[in-house]
Amino acid sequence: MSPLVLLHFTSMSPQNIRRNKLLWIGLLLTIAAVLSQGLYFTRLPGQHVFPWLNLALAIVAVILLTIGLLRAFRQPDLYRGKISGSISTLLAVVILIFTVTMFVDVRKVPASAGAPKVGQKAPDFMLSDIHGQNVSLSQLLSSPEGGAPPKATLLVFYRGYW
Amino acid sequence: MAISVDTPEVSARLCRKAGLTYTFLSDPKEDVLRQYDLVHAKGGPGGTDISRPAEFLVDSTGTVRWVNFTEDIRVRARADEMLAAAREIR
Repeated sequence: MSPLVLLHFTSMSPQNIRRNKLLWIGLLLTIAAVLSQGLYFTRLPGQHVFPWLNLALAIVAVILLTIGLLRAFRQPDLYRGKISGSISTLLAVVILIFTVTMFVDVRKVPASAGAPKVGQKAPDFMLSDIHGQNVSLSQLLSSPEGGAPPKATLLVFYRGYW
Repeated sequence: MAISVDTPEVSARLCRKAGLTYTFLSDPKEDVLRQYDLVHAKGGPGGTDISRPAEFLVDSTGTVRWVNFTEDIRVRARADEMLAAAREIR
């Protein structure tokens, strides 16, 4: 082998190809995007920010991975990661689609414009408790037997099917 | 107090499993949900109607003192928010 060919060969060796950092950061953000879906099960404050955090992480991950992937394909002599980048980007896109679908779906709640507002009277009602006994709101607001009347009652309407 | 479309039997199981001792009321016919405009039509499994998540703090005169309507069913009122609202009532 002539020295020139050898030189050319060495310059093409993997040592001279840079690690494609964007792909790694993108992959980390993809994992963070998945993990951030679990934030709702924590008692951390700022819950209303979490849906936007889910979205932001997935979007930034896809952007970084796309740039990293383009680098790997356009400058293969400079950056590695054609295969790993393709897999990571595909994964991030799937997670982004999932996140967006979820984001839209969980916000399909009725406006409830007719619900009682602060300062209005809460309409009285009577429903069955877990023992099959009828219980009314006025009953819950009045004095229990021998006890002092409660200051207030918290009505928690929940989706059910637990 | 908690309200859902679950039957008393289902709620009883939930209370037992989770160790909950406050009142659980069942509204399978959605009467109270309609009264309070909280019906989430076809929001439940298999296209059933359920309640949208909502919290009301009602004082002893029956007046609503604090409400919380989430825009995202994953985001709910935290215990400290509800306790803070309750402390406002004297």
